Amino acid sequence: MAVTRTLTQSKDVPASYGLGLTAIALLLLAISLGTLGLYLQSVINTPAIQQGLNGEIGLVLAVLDNVGLILPLMVIALDLWLAITAVQMLRGSADAVRWGATIVFWLTVGAVGVGIFVFFQQSAGNEIFGIATDYGRGASAALPLLLLAIPTGIASWWMSRHGDIINRNQTLTSRSTRMAWNLLLPTIVILIIVAARPLEETFITSLTDNRFGSSDPVSFIGLDNYIQLLSFRIDTVSCRRADDGTCTLDANGAARWELIDRDLMQAGYRPLANIPISADQAITISGTDGDFLQSIGNTLYFTISSVSLELLFGLFIALVVNSKFKGRGLMRAVMLVPWAIPTVVSARLWELMLRDNQSGIINKVLLDLGVIGASQSWLTNPNLQLNSLIMVDVWKTTPFMALLLLAGLQLIPSDLYEAAAVDGANRWRQFTSITLPLLRPVIGIALIFRTLDALRVFDVFNVLLQRQKLSMATYNYEVLIQEQQGGYASAVSVIIFILISIFTILYMRSVRIEDQ
Amino acid sequence: MTPQKITIGRILERVGFYFIIAAIIIFTLFPFYWALNSSFKSEQELFEPATYLPRNFTTISYEGVFSNGNFMRALFNSAWVSGATVLLSLVVGAFAAYALGRLQFRGRRGMMYVVLAMTMFPQISILSGLFTVVRDVGVYGSPLSLILTYPIFTLPFTVWVLTSFFKGLPDEIEQAALVDGATNFQTFYMIMLPLTAPALVTTGLLAFIAAWNEYLYALTFTLTTPTSQTVPVAIAQFNGTVMRQEPIAEVMAAAMVVTLPLIVLVVIFQKRIVEGLTAGAVKG
Repeated sequence: MAVTRTLTQSKDVPASYGLGLTAIALLLLAISLGTLGLYLQSVINTPAIQQGLNGEIGLVLAVLDNVGLILPLMVIALDLWLAITAVQMLRGSADAVRWGATIVFWLTVGAVGVGIFVFFQQSAGNEIFGIATDYGRGASAALPLLLLAIPTGIASWWMSRHGDIINRNQTLTSRSTRMAWNLLLPTIVILIIVAARPLEETFITSLTDNRFGSSDPVSFIGLDNYIQLLSFRIDTVSCRRADDGTCTLDANGAARWELIDRDLMQAGYRPLANIPISADQAITISGTDGDFLQSIGNTLYFTISSVSLELLFGLFIALVVNSKFKGRGLMRAVMLVPWAIPTVVSARLWELMLRDNQSGIINKVLLDLGVIGASQSWLTNPNLQLNSLIMVDVWKTTPFMALLLLAGLQLIPSDLYEAAAVDGANRWRQFTSITLPLLRPVIGIALIFRTLDALRVFDVFNVLLQRQKLSMATYNYEVLIQEQQGGYASAVSVIIFILISIFTILYMRSVRIEDQ
Repeated sequence: MTPQKITIGRILERVGFYFIIAAIIIFTLFPFYWALNSSFKSEQELFEPATYLPRNFTTISYEGVFSNGNFMRALFNSAWVSGATVLLSLVVGAFAAYALGRLQFRGRRGMMYVVLAMTMFPQISILSGLFTVVRDVGVYGSPLSLILTYPIFTLPFTVWVLTSFFKGLPDEIEQAALVDGATNFQTFYMIMLPLTAPALVTTGLLAFIAAWNEYLYALTFTLTTPTSQTVPVAIAQFNGTVMRQEPIAEVMAAAMVVTLPLIVLVVIFQKRIVEGLTAGAVKG
């Protein structure tokens, strides 16, 4: 560190460049202060924040709900960094000069890029809101940005012309560090816009009673959404007794159970499931948002069943395809077909195959084989719906699972098997003591991969079951888009996010990232 | 290996093996065959007990699909959305991947973890936040909203796979270039990038398929604007020329039209696709 310091702090920038560099440093300083001022002004001018300042609604909530934390903090941090770099440039630090070159370059690219985007965005008309296309509006919005690009562009051009002098004497590490962050910047910006900021927005909204399309001011309601979503209780109930004291039975011969206490019903609890523990007693699970708890149940059932079936079939297929035979390449191509078919298309395909009469091929085949006695309504019978979806998912993703496992199998050296065969181990023994242990890491990763996918299942549920049975994702979609309950839907999103994060952490712990 | 005697047992084993292979192929391809079969039947025939071959072979469904303005526009939208997404992800992703795969700098490990975590990002959980962002930016209801949001799943994946390819390149080439006086950036785009062209093709293809098949965002952001819808949304909400009933044969024909190009790509590039898919998952 000390060496770098002496190198960069010394006067390795020739004095003849002093004037240009001073001008650029002053430009950076001006941009830093200017953008900070403009940003704060635009925030303050937001109608909702005005209301907050006037005390009509809470100021903190108004700020959080409208601008969040990530963007303001980033603007402040970046402007601060800009100002510090500018000051260090004025003091003659060569390292600051190099970072200055980087900054003016990205400022130019950013200003032009955002300017072009703003031009098209502001010009474009909108059929829904009845706004006509107007290029004048776009041009006037984009003009300040394009004007900003002129001085930074000149500065960037000037610095790149004198790059050989500015860049000499720098260490290899500082050169590759600067290069690396330059290359990473676009990715970071995109990920902040499309992931970090929306995620923040979701977290903040989940604490409010926001409703889309409503003009009522939003208010902060703490964890109420979560409490409403997740509250559940477990009680015991007795069976419904007939006059003679025996339990009454429903049409299917199952016992009928009493409802939970009226007080609980009034508090919003609705029974979800009864689990008999004896002839006249059952455990009742009830919750305040039955649909959501049900959707968690559906998703878990779907995930556990489909992922374990896929692992079983996938392992079997991988072992078969791993042996040498003619047409193995073609086989792999065949296995990619279900993976490549869009999920929506495969759902529509199975919708036809699973028709509830003999025009559905599944019913016809099973009837012809004598497996079932009568046509089944695969997609409307509540007892079959989830299993039908699992069938669709198993068809679509087993080959993918098999390909992952196949890649793992091919990493196992074949001489291990030869040695085992010489020692007289039979195939099964080879499988349990060589294949399985060596394949375990790959199986683990494939399982987590698939579990993550299955937990966020949306397409098949949406296309095949619409609102009959919900997964967590389709429930979230219904609440958000159909019912327009922004705050409540965001709380659902956060719960899904946390659930998936747990699996993501598991996955990351199984993948090592080595230090170079 | 010593020549093996041909015994009845061995023949039976072989027959059994190919029987299993055939079963796997039927399991894998049957639904696809069924869509093909149904797409050549008439709408009436689809309501009669199913047959393995169309009794009255007809291409009327395909004619219907190709003269369906909504569907053709959806094809165009999908191509444009997926193409733009892939281009954006590859350009931006190749930059980041080069930094992560070849350069040494503080913060590299942290960025790698961020990228890896992002490949698992649950799209549904930012739907409401993204909805607000998309509306604020003013692109709600246009294909632009999809091009702007799709990088959330294509970009981390592209960066991750390309990073592993960059890492696999030998150091010597890069060092030679640096010794010859090339700058870091010149080394990157004149020497390293051309070497990763095959990897770019693979990742581009995988990203294309992911964008082409995406449904959730497409449904959410273009629900009210049929002119911006992509193929999955169009197929999920397919309306035929005859409005009375759902035209299943036409849906199947449409399914064939959107799937066949993907299948052709998959057959041509199967080796690369498998490499790309497993690069992220198995090798780590």
